Amino acid sequence: MSASNCTSSSAGGGVGGGRVRSWSSTTSVSSSGKRIQKEMLEFGADPPSGCSAGPKGDNLYQWVSTIMGPQGSPYEGGVFFIEISIPTDYPFKPPKVVFKTRIYHCNVDPSGNVSLGILKDGWSPALTIAKVLLAVRSVLTNPDTSCPVVSSIARLYLTDKAKHDEIAVEWTMRFAR
Amino acid sequence: MANSASLPALSSSPNDLRKKKRANRSAKLKQCKLDARRDQWLSQVKNKGSNGESSPPIPSTRPIGPRKLDPARDNAAAAESLLGLQDSETEFAAGRRIARKDDRPCSSSISSGCFSGSATEDDEEEDGDSTALDDWEAVADALIADHHHLEEPKPSITAPVPTPAPPSVTPKPPEPRAWRPDDAFRPSSLPNLSKQRSFDVSRGFRNGGRTVVSVSVPSSCPICYEDLDVTDTSFLPCSCGFRLCLFCHKRILEADGRCPGCRKPYGMILDGSPPVFLLSRSCSMNIR
Repeated sequence: MSASNCTSSSAGGGVGGGRVRSWSSTTSVSSSGKRIQKEMLEFGADPPSGCSAGPKGDNLYQWVSTIMGPQGSPYEGGVFFIEISIPTDYPFKPPKVVFKTRIYHCNVDPSGNVSLGILKDGWSPALTIAKVLLAVRSVLTNPDTSCPVVSSIARLYLTDKAKHDEIAVEWTMRFAR
Repeated sequence: MANSASLPALSSSPNDLRKKKRANRSAKLKQCKLDARRDQWLSQVKNKGSNGESSPPIPSTRPIGPRKLDPARDNAAAAESLLGLQDSETEFAAGRRIARKDDRPCSSSISSGCFSGSATEDDEEEDGDSTALDDWEAVADALIADHHHLEEPKPSITAPVPTPAPPSVTPKPPEPRAWRPDDAFRPSSLPNLSKQRSFDVSRGFRNGGRTVVSVSVPSSCPICYEDLDVTDTSFLPCSCGFRLCLFCHKRILEADGRCPGCRKPYGMILDGSPPVFLLSRSCSMNIR
């Protein structure tokens, strides 16, 4: 699948002749690898506030990240571990973001999968891991109740925010400390 | 004109001959354009020299209406600023004469030069031509910009000068550079100018658009971080100005086909036609 893509692109893209890519290295793995390495460097040089991230071991395609609960949100004071799985055809396909720390949030399903617009149809190859983490962090402050994965939490958030926040704080204290 | 005389001969010629000639022609075209460019520079230099004594034609800088030819001719002959024009005109006429005599399409290297004025219209989509046109447009831009500077201060000074034959003289001399496609004096070596014609109208826009774009040309593709080569840097697939390399662009077209910068579908601007280098060739495409 990805290999065939690349073959055709190298066949049709004779225009950009200046670039010499041998057949074997034309796999998408290496092209996404370069991008991911670059992102890693940029992330290290200028990490988004409250976030940290980096490859897990020597695997560029599995990142571990932490997000500090944003101030003013019920998640404040918590540290949330996140695993980011980067597909081999990244950045043409979005990464997958999973909370490893339990969190009471309407956009995070019980097994930790984050559902965000930009991680599905709203994905753009111009987005980066850093931007994804920022988006995740901002959704902690402002839950997206229009397309929740846990509708009961979204309903509670809309009807009784105080109660919702109380539960979220309790979960943060229990799991994210 | 020259067309009607020798086009039939061309069309009757066998196809392979024509193809062979085509390759020839693109090379010829480039040469001709270079020649034309040199002519223009020469004539411009002469203009500069003669501006001091006889600058009446300059005030009306940008004629908009169609150019009147017949009375213009005599006046123009008198004007010093037309020296350049005259040269190229005689050249043109000579070339045409040869082309007329020339009935063999295969030997008509000169007539192919003559044709360039009209024939490039058809050949516009050819690759060789497109690069040549790119060059040509760059030159034209430079000329226009240069000329613009020269003209700016003048109207106030020379405006009151009475011109006895306003429609004929005034539009003529100041812009030997901006040929109308229907102009009889137009050197045959110039390429086709349906695009150039829109220069006057869109100059402001073009300049504005181009500066913005040229400022923000990244050195590497924001998607794959490979370096952008020359083809890539002149490749502007979306009106939002987001640049990327051809590989990534193709890849995206195979998937959802939306611009990473603005998330609009790439096809929208181009009515579904494959987004090729047409867009990058010049911003005036937006006018079409």
